[in-house]
Amino acid sequence: MSVLQHLPPGRFIEAAGRGSRQTKHTVQVSFIVMLLMATMALFSANVNADVPNAVPPEGEYSGIHVEQPIEFPHDIHADVNEINCMYCHTYARRSKVAGIPPTSKCMGCHSIIATDKPRIQKLTEYWENKESPKWKKVHDVPDFVHFTHEKHIKRFVIDNEDLQVENVSEVCAFCHGEVKKMTVADKVKPLTMGFCQRCHQANDGPSDCWHCHK
Amino acid sequence: MSLSNLIDDWSRYRKGREEGGFHDYEHMWGMSIDLNKCIGCNACSVACYAENNLAVVGKEKFEKGQGMHWLRLERYWDEPDLGEERTTEFQQHGASFLPMMCQQCNAATCEPVCPVAATYHTPDGLNAQVYNRCIGSRYCSNNCPYRLRYFNFWSYYEDSWPAPLQMQLNPDISVRDKGVMEKCTFCVQRIRTVKDTARMEDRKVRDGEVQTACSQTCPTGAIEFGDMLGMYDPETGVAETKVTRMWRKHQVEFGKTKQNKQTPDMRGYRVFEFLNTDPCVMYLDRVREV
Repeated sequence: MSVLQHLPPGRFIEAAGRGSRQTKHTVQVSFIVMLLMATMALFSANVNADVPNAVPPEGEYSGIHVEQPIEFPHDIHADVNEINCMYCHTYARRSKVAGIPPTSKCMGCHSIIATDKPRIQKLTEYWENKESPKWKKVHDVPDFVHFTHEKHIKRFVIDNEDLQVENVSEVCAFCHGEVKKMTVADKVKPLTMGFCQRCHQANDGPSDCWHCHK
Repeated sequence: MSLSNLIDDWSRYRKGREEGGFHDYEHMWGMSIDLNKCIGCNACSVACYAENNLAVVGKEKFEKGQGMHWLRLERYWDEPDLGEERTTEFQQHGASFLPMMCQQCNAATCEPVCPVAATYHTPDGLNAQVYNRCIGSRYCSNNCPYRLRYFNFWSYYEDSWPAPLQMQLNPDISVRDKGVMEKCTFCVQRIRTVKDTARMEDRKVRDGEVQTACSQTCPTGAIEFGDMLGMYDPETGVAETKVTRMWRKHQVEFGKTKQNKQTPDMRGYRVFEFLNTDPCVMYLDRVREV
């Protein structure tokens, strides 16, 4: 049984391609998953009902609002139109950083859709001037921290048989909050060491200093 | 990493050695340096500066012993200075060189003296320094028999990398501020990257996949770096890495304060191994025609 069987056919082909080499590992993974589920049962108070096999980190943070060059509405994209987070943040499953999509990706839709809206006209202006909007970073961990999106997506999405890839935003929400209810993304989680560590301890993540500190 | 973890790690190694084995290391990074091949060009040291964001402190501070070279080249004269009239500053013959970096001792003397557990042993067999934890007591430096720990007496980032030189800094390793001890890490950021890639592709780390900056740069290939626990390579069918092979060939073993060699011609040795620090770096002695 492949870990990626639950993926709908035709979606996330790259991710599925990577998964086909993992079949040998699957038995071990599902064993660990079962083991984790047993552990979860013990600490069921912490279990997030949406994402099985995962204890999300806890904590809230009222971060400062970062002004962006264009007030990007995450809610219209991710909530109303149900676009997957990883459609635009395509590097999240491939590299350390989730990445901000290039303007060409925006224009792929917005050369046709909603061209009469002022924000889209501003975007089109950037596109015609061959410039990128200078997006500001909201979720910034300190320079001495090594964090990879890739491994976290693998652990909680690709290797997680009980999570549909459509619901990836539930995993993203662990650290980024409910971005699909926001317009411009705000930092609503503390992203401190204790915040990371609580989740690492609950989900059997590495606790070695040099794993994350550089 | 709590203090009790640190003491556990420390005692686990000691106990493992007494029982004739190692504890459950995932990897155990080691090095073999052939001094016959070393030409003393200092390229390894320069590479280390570039890779690890080392500050260039300038001549005055260097003379006070505040240099930040994680890898230094030690120069020895193995032919006597005959005292004849010389036109050059140094004698013409008999120089030999020894690249000296952190020996990543298994029984490191720096670890137990740290009051805040900023230096500890990782599951990779590395002697780690956590810059965030370090309070700059400098106990570790004073307890290191090799003098391989370097202290940031000043903030160097403004003088050392004036704009636009800050663009050359390696983003995978932090720039240390003053009051923090630092040392060779065996290029842990490269190890981390390779391990992450291997994990994502569900395979083991291959031999030769991790290269430290010094071994990559060495023009004569004097520095070999690899996993001491051996990695099975399906392509060659060899279960030992280049480094393990070198250690075995020269009959140097872990956990010994004196090596038993079949012939005295075996060139391998570890620096100060009689101090029971059990370093992970083996040197191959330089052979000279008499």
